[in-house]
Amino acid sequence: MDALVKKRIKQIKKGDQDAFAEIVELYKDKLYQLGYRMLGNRHEAEEIAQEAFIRAYVNINSYNQEYKFSTWLYRIATNLCIDRIRKKKPDYYLDAEMAGTEGLTLYSRIPSDSPLPEKEVEMMELQETIQGEIVKLPEKYRSVIVLKYIEELSLNEISEILDLPLGTVKTRIHRGREALRKQLRHV
Amino acid sequence: MNCPEEIIVYMHEYLDDDLDPEHEQVLKDHLGTCKACQTVFHEMKKTVALIRSTANVHAPDNFTQSVMAKLPKEKKKIGMQR
Repeated sequence: MDALVKKRIKQIKKGDQDAFAEIVELYKDKLYQLGYRMLGNRHEAEEIAQEAFIRAYVNINSYNQEYKFSTWLYRIATNLCIDRIRKKKPDYYLDAEMAGTEGLTLYSRIPSDSPLPEKEVEMMELQETIQGEIVKLPEKYRSVIVLKYIEELSLNEISEILDLPLGTVKTRIHRGREALRKQLRHV
Repeated sequence: MNCPEEIIVYMHEYLDDDLDPEHEQVLKDHLGTCKACQTVFHEMKKTVALIRSTANVHAPDNFTQSVMAKLPKEKKKIGMQR
């Protein structure tokens, strides 16, 4: 996969947009997921993920092949998410938190004429609770928790993506996990 | 219960695969005797499992086309000259 990505990047640098479409296909769910868990709603997740890909395309010549491409891409997307969180005004921020509970992923899979089984309703409510608690975390803890547990990245990769010392990443994961434990222990 | 403060740190390090063997033994020994810390440790592991259980959203169907349609035009020309 890494070899394929390298080849596609060479093609993109030569101006081959089809090669870039392949890259988008490869990473679109990861960046969308990141945006969704960081920002709490689908609309902003899509905007951020699109913007990240466009920036990656425009700036492809500044990508250093010594690093993993996914690390570079995550870095662009994570920075966009963090900027957006910081720019949110407090009242708008509250809206976003409520929007964070809209993650009704199971709804769309169930035909509208059949009643929702009780277990699935419970499952949906649980998912909403968890998503709501993730979005309530302060941004610096939210980033590391999402990168580690949603995107399943290593501590070293997270440190590169966020441009933070490894020790800082560890401390933030500990604090984020501790905060979530207190919120989720009784669910 | 007066538990050593570092026990909580060891729990976190354990969850990050970052706990050295010596400390892991200290953690195990302590968990063997302390109900309160067992509960905290269990809650931590449950929390991790809950967060992981949410990872299932996918980009919308037309996502790639939307991105491609928004790319700057100049590069498109270069692509077509090839």
